[in-house]
Amino acid sequence: MGSGKRKDLGTRVATLWLIAQLFLFIAPIPAAAQDLIVFAAASLKDALDAIARDYQPTAKVVVSYAASPTLAKQIENAAPADLFISADLDWMDYLQARKLINARSRVNLLRNRLILIAPADSKVTLEIKPGFALAAALGNSRLAMANPAAVPAGKYGKAALESLGVWQSVAAKVAPADNVRAALTLVSRGEAPFGIVYRTDAIADKKVKIVGEFPAGSYPPIIYPAAVVVASRNAQKAQALLDYLGSAHARALFARYGF
Amino acid sequence: MSLRVDVARKLGAFVLDARFEAGAGITALFGRSGSGKTSLVNAIAGLLRPDRGLVEVEGQTLFDSSRGIDMSMSRRRIGYVFQEGRLFPHLSVRQNLLYGWWFTPRKERYVGLEHVVELLGLGQFLERRPGELSGGEKQRVAIGRALLASPRLLLMDEPLASLDAQRKSEILRYIERLRDETSIPILYVSHVIEEVVRLADTLVLMSDGKVQAEGRPDEIMGRLDLHPQTGRYEAGAVIDTRVAAYDEKFQLSTLHFSGGDLLVPNVDGLPGERIRVRIRARDVSLALEPPVGTSILNVLRGRIAEICPRDEVVADVSVDVGNVSVLARITRRSLDQLRLSPGMEVYAMVKSVALDRHSVGFA
Amino acid sequence: MLTPVEIDALQLSLRVAFWSVLVSLPFAVAAAMVLARLNFPGKSLIDAVVHLPLVLPPVVIGYVLLLLLGRRGPIGSMLEQYLGVVVAFRWTGAAIASGIMGFPLMVRAIRLSVEAIDRNLEAAAGTLGANRSWIFATITLPFMLPGLLTGVLLSFARSLGEFGATITFVSNIPGETQTLPLALYSFTQSPGGDGPALRLCAIAVLLSVAALFASEVLVRRASRQLRGHELAG
Repeated sequence: MGSGKRKDLGTRVATLWLIAQLFLFIAPIPAAAQDLIVFAAASLKDALDAIARDYQPTAKVVVSYAASPTLAKQIENAAPADLFISADLDWMDYLQARKLINARSRVNLLRNRLILIAPADSKVTLEIKPGFALAAALGNSRLAMANPAAVPAGKYGKAALESLGVWQSVAAKVAPADNVRAALTLVSRGEAPFGIVYRTDAIADKKVKIVGEFPAGSYPPIIYPAAVVVASRNAQKAQALLDYLGSAHARALFARYGF
Repeated sequence: MSLRVDVARKLGAFVLDARFEAGAGITALFGRSGSGKTSLVNAIAGLLRPDRGLVEVEGQTLFDSSRGIDMSMSRRRIGYVFQEGRLFPHLSVRQNLLYGWWFTPRKERYVGLEHVVELLGLGQFLERRPGELSGGEKQRVAIGRALLASPRLLLMDEPLASLDAQRKSEILRYIERLRDETSIPILYVSHVIEEVVRLADTLVLMSDGKVQAEGRPDEIMGRLDLHPQTGRYEAGAVIDTRVAAYDEKFQLSTLHFSGGDLLVPNVDGLPGERIRVRIRARDVSLALEPPVGTSILNVLRGRIAEICPRDEVVADVSVDVGNVSVLARITRRSLDQLRLSPGMEVYAMVKSVALDRHSVGFA
Repeated sequence: MLTPVEIDALQLSLRVAFWSVLVSLPFAVAAAMVLARLNFPGKSLIDAVVHLPLVLPPVVIGYVLLLLLGRRGPIGSMLEQYLGVVVAFRWTGAAIASGIMGFPLMVRAIRLSVEAIDRNLEAAAGTLGANRSWIFATITLPFMLPGLLTGVLLSFARSLGEFGATITFVSNIPGETQTLPLALYSFTQSPGGDGPALRLCAIAVLLSVAALFASEVLVRRASRQLRGHELAG
């Protein structure tokens, strides 16, 4: 009976200690009011993560990546973003029209190019020209794209295919993804034989290869505008970050990722 | 008066409309199943709300419909011993016992744990759980728990119903001790005549939701008109006696009362103790002359008070012996042949062995 | 072994689940008691509303929360104006979403326990001088315990896996609202995210199994305590 009681006590102490540790683990870190929150288009993931790490000594930057329309809607619903970087002008205009971004802070930050990709082990070759046989090459499979209705990468892709006269034949075969990175992953996994992504995405993933680049005139220029969000609590710091993103140092980092 | 009750309540097709008063000691509420005993007791405890009426305990009004008084159950300070015990299975016996004690204001507590434990013999299983106890032990704990709430009145609703014969007499002894050693008024509900007759100082007879009669047990039992309620088969007399002597050799006790002496076997009473004896009418014979050469030890002289024919075959004869009524059940033929009539002097005879330990209790 | 993002997600998930369960518990107990013990016109309506999160698409719940509790919503704007409290895009909002999704599970489990409670014991406690609150604390609550434990752990596990309502209401902000399922989702959309995604998968499975196992063990122990070792030796 005695040793049984001791064992019982031991179990109790161990359980209490475990619970205490658990509590410490989940306790919220005191208000990160100094953290900057950036809402950025999905295609910026690798590049912006690297820059955020680089910026660490100055301020902690937390980035939420999603498709530009998703982020714009969230900002419209008063999400706590300090900075917004969109993958096309439309969504920045959307927010500017609603006076949700600081128009004076708005700058065009980056450019990109539109690419047709395939899984790395694909043997298919296609030349991208008006009327090219994309539909035939797809067969019964699907073309991975960001949602052509709203997401910039999808819109650019659709525009390009339309101007090449191929859209009608492939429209029904599109697998619309939430954002361009999701489309990239579909091809990367071999789930889709072809996909339309940005050049920066294509070179970020070793498991995809570039089939061809869409002709420059077939789609509107890809411009990434950035601006400080009006409701930001850290407007000054946000502006400082924005300035930094436009600096030569940041540009060099972006360039390393293909921007 | 310790207890005044006058309540009415409609429960579906059943109508409860009962009124009685009780003094100190044990008041037994007797009646068949369905006569309304439990409903009446629930009304006293506050578990049932009467449509109208009055409940007064020890001068304190607990319920009065005319004045809009309805004290909540938890404030009535009425100890309730349930038929099934209803001990809390997730608490130890000690915790069960002390449950009501905790809720009693300090200045109103008149009984303590040690006293109750000693009174009811609970020392051995204070740390056990109710699930580990036998039926008899559970009921003792239930009684103890009710007691420790320092109640104004103790209600016992058929507390022996779920026990076997041996346990029953064991608990009956404890209840008699309760009555003797504490001064709490007790309301004891039962449909078993032996229990009621053994314990009661006052007997309240219930039938169909109404009180038919109230009074001393020997009075009520002696009343021939109540036999339909008191139970035809078990009709008989109740006599309070005192132990006068004990015959070692033949292990017979001499029990003395106003009408003479009774010789009864297997009575655990010491000289001087008061013993209550129940004599069933069917065990009593009558004779016009004192019998000779008979094995019957108990011969009581008395006068016929009343004769009540039951049917074509038997009749009940009530005989005044001392200031007690003894009932004899005889055939109509004997009634005729002996030409018995009220006022006649007769001898009532009872076989000693007819008076068994179930008939005897400590008064 | 785990990257900071994964640890953040795990930490956040546990915190959100803990608070969502803790805050919804008293409401669940109240709802269970009401549904188990009272009868009133409109009771089946209340019952239905309580069970809605079980059958509605989580995204719908999340969207409704956004409409009502968002900073521009009727309730959300009042909260911000008078109490300075914002829940949209905060971990507190994630906790609310989780709490709502797990609520019917909690209520069901607790209600079953309450319905099995012997009212006679409560009456006995009343005759001994305990008022309603004390009866609840000393008799009702202990007997409710097995159902309570089951409800808590089921709701906790549900909260760990909550996705649709969370991402719709509070979006996917790392460190603030990116719970484990959301982090997993993000990883599946990133090239090279398979490693972390699988790790998070494994953690999610482990946590859920642990929660269900703990539920079994604790409930059995509590039931044994209540029955007072009747069946033991």
